[in-house]
Amino acid sequence: MSVGKTSREKVLELLNGKRNGELLCFSGMGNVTTEGMKQTGIRFAESHTDASKMAALAATTHKLFGFECAVIPFDVAIEAEIVGCPINFYTRSHPLEILYPTVKEKVIRSAGDIKLPSDLSRAGRVPLVTEALNLLSDDLKGAVAIGTYIMGPFTIAGQTMELSDLLKISLKKPEEVAEVLAVYTELVIQLAETYSAAGADYITIREMGACSDVLRPALFKQLVEPQLRRIFDQAPHPLVLHICGKSNGIMDSMNRVGAGALSVDQKNDLRETRKTIGPKPILLGNFDPFNILVKGTPSDVKRAVQECVNGGVDAVWPGCDIWPTVPTENMNALMQAVKNARKGRN
Amino acid sequence: MTNDAKKDELLKKLADGVLKFEEEEVATAANEVLALGFDAYEAIMNGLAKGMEEAGRLYEEEEYFVPELLLCADALYAGLNILRPHVKIEDRQKSRGVVVIGTVQGDVHDIGKNLVKMMFEVAGFEVHDLGKDVPLEKFVEEQLKTNAELVCLSAMMTTSMLGMERIIKMIREKNPEVKIMIGGAPITQEVVKKFGADGTANSASNALREALKMVASLRKMG
Repeated sequence: MSVGKTSREKVLELLNGKRNGELLCFSGMGNVTTEGMKQTGIRFAESHTDASKMAALAATTHKLFGFECAVIPFDVAIEAEIVGCPINFYTRSHPLEILYPTVKEKVIRSAGDIKLPSDLSRAGRVPLVTEALNLLSDDLKGAVAIGTYIMGPFTIAGQTMELSDLLKISLKKPEEVAEVLAVYTELVIQLAETYSAAGADYITIREMGACSDVLRPALFKQLVEPQLRRIFDQAPHPLVLHICGKSNGIMDSMNRVGAGALSVDQKNDLRETRKTIGPKPILLGNFDPFNILVKGTPSDVKRAVQECVNGGVDAVWPGCDIWPTVPTENMNALMQAVKNARKGRN
Repeated sequence: MTNDAKKDELLKKLADGVLKFEEEEVATAANEVLALGFDAYEAIMNGLAKGMEEAGRLYEEEEYFVPELLLCADALYAGLNILRPHVKIEDRQKSRGVVVIGTVQGDVHDIGKNLVKMMFEVAGFEVHDLGKDVPLEKFVEEQLKTNAELVCLSAMMTTSMLGMERIIKMIREKNPEVKIMIGGAPITQEVVKKFGADGTANSASNALREALKMVASLRKMG
């Protein structure tokens, strides 16, 4: 029974491998909405470089809809910025325009080019994210789980090196890629320690760059799995491993790295996944955060929640960042459908 | 060996060289095509492009992945750079169509876009490549400037494909007849319908096939 427990406690229990029968609805990735931006008057483009705006905006999805987490940051360029890539924040774009920061220039060509900062807590926007984690802790007072995320080593490599070069040398000279990944693995572990110390309750490692739309599963196993193992072995838990895109072919690898929970998107066949990993691992997913949540109707949302549940997820969790323009009625329908499914399960 | 048998052998060498990403073999075969006086355009279409089409098929079957496709593309370009200057003037003037292509604003992924662009170049389209992270209005301006029959929009991430819907509206307002193809990991037939595009494709070869169909239907209407 989970009566009397806070939402945060329930989320953390689940991520630590303890099922209590209650179906939760939360995410390890971005989930702010334009409704939240309206309520707080915060422009999306400003929220990436201002800790108090980031924290205030991150709390809105819980406050407005009861979504069971607050997650920062909102973009995926923090790590690339740490190793020296200039970032485009699109601050001059139209105020209503939703654009995620992107890497302007890829400055790394080989492992020798990567300089990890001597004091990571002061590098790039790390101090900003840690300050926002502190502010969120003050605001939510332990009632709601605070999540953050870090890109996986292969994804960071793809963001900081010319992607076509990285992919070609993955085939031709995998040992050179392994060197790059080893350095980025160190960065991920240090960053996880920094975020955890600043108050992050759980961390999602997003390794979408190595999904099977891009990389052969055998190469994932050879190059990426050993690095992920090191991360999940050394970084502070609870840790979620997320891979969006095709992932069924690498499920056995994903399952071997020692994650507290595995997260997949709508391209994953959940039944096949359960066949591969068995009943024990915590599986999060695989709600389509755009085609259903933004573009669908409330009844599409309801149907999709049921499909997730039937597929055997332990929490209804969007397969990627929630696109901010999600209609209010769909967010409400999501939360209501999860509540109803919860009753059906108990 | 008869002339035809020799030609077939070279076409096969070109196709196989692309498929197995053997740049040197492709370059050697391309030079031999020229030395023996065979038609360069035929060698491009029935040799190089055929190899890439087979690579696309292997990608769909999950035999090949993106790294393999990139190496195939390098091998294809090794042959194309040798053969293209020798394509007969009348073949060169027979443009298959004019295309504007680019990755939409907020997205810096251009591998898929570059593969599609390559197939268009191979087939003899006039390609205007706007690059990556392209502001929405730039697509509209370029279409008007070049009078392109086809506009191709690419996005790798769900979070960046949204701009496509607005570009499509903007282009249709100015020029309702232009064909619009969208592509990238998050694009499905459902998205095509919702955004009001004309089509998508899951590989560069299929993108070319779709494009040829669209341009043909436009020309029939015209």
